[in-house]
Amino acid sequence: MTDETPPGRDTSGRFVKRAAETVNAMSRTNDEGIHPMSKVLFGWTEAKNIGAILFWTLAILSIILVLADLVIDRHEYLHFAESIGFFGLWGFISFSFVVLMGWPLGRLLRRDENYYGDAGGPPDDIDPDLEGKPLHGPNGTHGGHH
Amino acid sequence: MPTFLTDLNPGWLLIIAGVAAMFIKQRTVRQAMTIIAPILGILLLATTQHGVDHLTYNALGLELSFYRVDSLNFLFGLAFLIAALLNAIYALHTDNRMQDGMATAYAGAAIAATFAGDLMTLFIFWEITAITSVFLILRAGTRASYFASLRYLGVQILSGVLLLDGIAYVWHHTGSLSLTAFTSLNEPGALIIFIAFGIKAAFPFLHNWLQDSYPKASVVGAVVLSAFTTKLAVYAFARMFPGQDELIWIGAIMTVFPVFFAVIENDLRRVLAYSTNNQVGFMICAIGVGTPLALNGAVAHAFADILFKGLLFMSMGAVLYRTGTTKANELGGLYRSMPWTTLFCLVGAISISAMPLFSAFVTKSMILSAVASTGMVVVWLMLMFASAGVLEHSGIKIPYFAFFGHDSGKRVKEAPFNMLLAMGMASFLCIAIGLPAFLPSFGYEWLYSLLPYPVEAASYQPFTLGHILAQLQLLALAVFAFILLQRLGLYPPEKPGVILDTDWLYRKVGYGAVRWMDTIWSKVGPAIAAIAGRLSSRAYDNMVATFSPRGMLSRNLFSGGMTLWTAVILALVLLVSFLTS
Repeated sequence: MTDETPPGRDTSGRFVKRAAETVNAMSRTNDEGIHPMSKVLFGWTEAKNIGAILFWTLAILSIILVLADLVIDRHEYLHFAESIGFFGLWGFISFSFVVLMGWPLGRLLRRDENYYGDAGGPPDDIDPDLEGKPLHGPNGTHGGHH
Repeated sequence: MPTFLTDLNPGWLLIIAGVAAMFIKQRTVRQAMTIIAPILGILLLATTQHGVDHLTYNALGLELSFYRVDSLNFLFGLAFLIAALLNAIYALHTDNRMQDGMATAYAGAAIAATFAGDLMTLFIFWEITAITSVFLILRAGTRASYFASLRYLGVQILSGVLLLDGIAYVWHHTGSLSLTAFTSLNEPGALIIFIAFGIKAAFPFLHNWLQDSYPKASVVGAVVLSAFTTKLAVYAFARMFPGQDELIWIGAIMTVFPVFFAVIENDLRRVLAYSTNNQVGFMICAIGVGTPLALNGAVAHAFADILFKGLLFMSMGAVLYRTGTTKANELGGLYRSMPWTTLFCLVGAISISAMPLFSAFVTKSMILSAVASTGMVVVWLMLMFASAGVLEHSGIKIPYFAFFGHDSGKRVKEAPFNMLLAMGMASFLCIAIGLPAFLPSFGYEWLYSLLPYPVEAASYQPFTLGHILAQLQLLALAVFAFILLQRLGLYPPEKPGVILDTDWLYRKVGYGAVRWMDTIWSKVGPAIAAIAGRLSSRAYDNMVATFSPRGMLSRNLFSGGMTLWTAVILALVLLVSFLTS
């Protein structure tokens, strides 16, 4: 990125040009398929021990929020909901129950992808440049489906 | 503004634009029409006088009112128009006349139905939504989408037929087609109309048309479909059945059951379809409660849902467009290639999870407060449970498995600019209506000022310390549960497969029964035909042998014997009749 603007011109012109070049550079995916903005926006997710950091951050935040019930007086229509940490406890139990129910429910309800006939492929209007995009004939190339 | 413009239902404008767009080959002109029509529609709606029948027509003794705006339908219509605009921008990278036209006409039909002033007009546009929307599923071009579209059309037409049947009952018993709310399901026609609306709102056991069809629609089609049909049904319930107790429990069940399906579902667009059920459940429950606060909550949440659900479908559409799949087990790590899409998806995910400063926080809290104020503990706990469930499937599962989690190694281009623009605009609105009113009439106060009961809305404060703390506790501990379960290896892995739901009854049992009957008939039918053929030919032979000129009756008796006996019997009948009369 070079600045070829001759000296003596107004600096705002150079600023606009440089800004335009920066925006251009930040919107071009590199050869490895990495978008430059991904580092800016989500580079932090690649930090070492991000899992542990998030775990402890959330743990401490949760404790602080539960303890905040001691200080902040919540007025609820249903009085039992005023007890300390009620919403946190209900959120934790509900979330865990839903996720853990995924194990037996998955076994009970999951069938092969072609259970109702050939599951078929993606719709016609996906990126035409996509490699391996299936071609749909007039009758479709995917098998029967009822 | 000229009268003919202020009298024009914005929905009609979109229908006309949509139908015309199908015949315009020039892509630029066509797409300009699909964008300009909703903008004009918003302007028309903004300048329209409320509470007046703008366009009426008398046909076959029926007084039809085609355009009537009031505080209940205004926000639904506005949300539909905004959705139509965002969808048109989202579709700019495509060049398909049928899809452009039908998407606009479908939005127009939903808007026209929303502003209908009588039941018959509502029915007409109710049916047009069904017919126009089916093309968005067909556009996907796969055999699976073809069969799904037929099932979808069948269910939607059933809803329309039931609605017409109910309207006929109402007309017969009351002689009126006005959109007056029913006070009981025992009123003539009320139950039939209730079921007709319930099909479109995807009530439990009537819901599977949604999960069956939306994920099989085209990239753009699923985004368009997500905005209108179910929310039109929500409006219809708010108009005709406010305060109907049955809706409280139906809505509560609707919020809970999809959560369990969504956790094991692998197709992320199907997860969003379950999420639609879940969110509509909150609205239906609030309509059942029927207090001004609850109805405000239902309308506000519908407005917010159209935006954040549309945004989530858009982000998954962008993923599908670039990668060719929305299956969770095939995705992951896409934030490297699609950071803007990731960001917008996260805005949608946080909004639907009702994080303070995002839209659902200011809308859903009204519903939760309204339910709590009735003292219905179980229903309230169900809604709170469902709130944690929303966070699981839409708040975490969608962005985590698509953009983060296990890196699938897929390196693709970022979504096309028009898609990013539509997602950016939807994200802006999700945040804008969720913000505190730093300036009067901005942020959530703008939305609240347009609700059906603005006075009650103005007295409701979502940003109290208690509300914020309660919601943050719920969300933080739920996210903590997610991280904990992940670290312990207790989070179920995403596996490919089909999840059985109520559609199993008609796709397997019903289809199997029809196939069985077909097989049986193919064997029994010819046998019955052969027996019938033999019997009839024998009967014919016997009749010929008896009655023909050379038959038995003509052989030994004089030719007029039959006539004579007939005359004798007739005379006897006349005699008996004369004597007994």
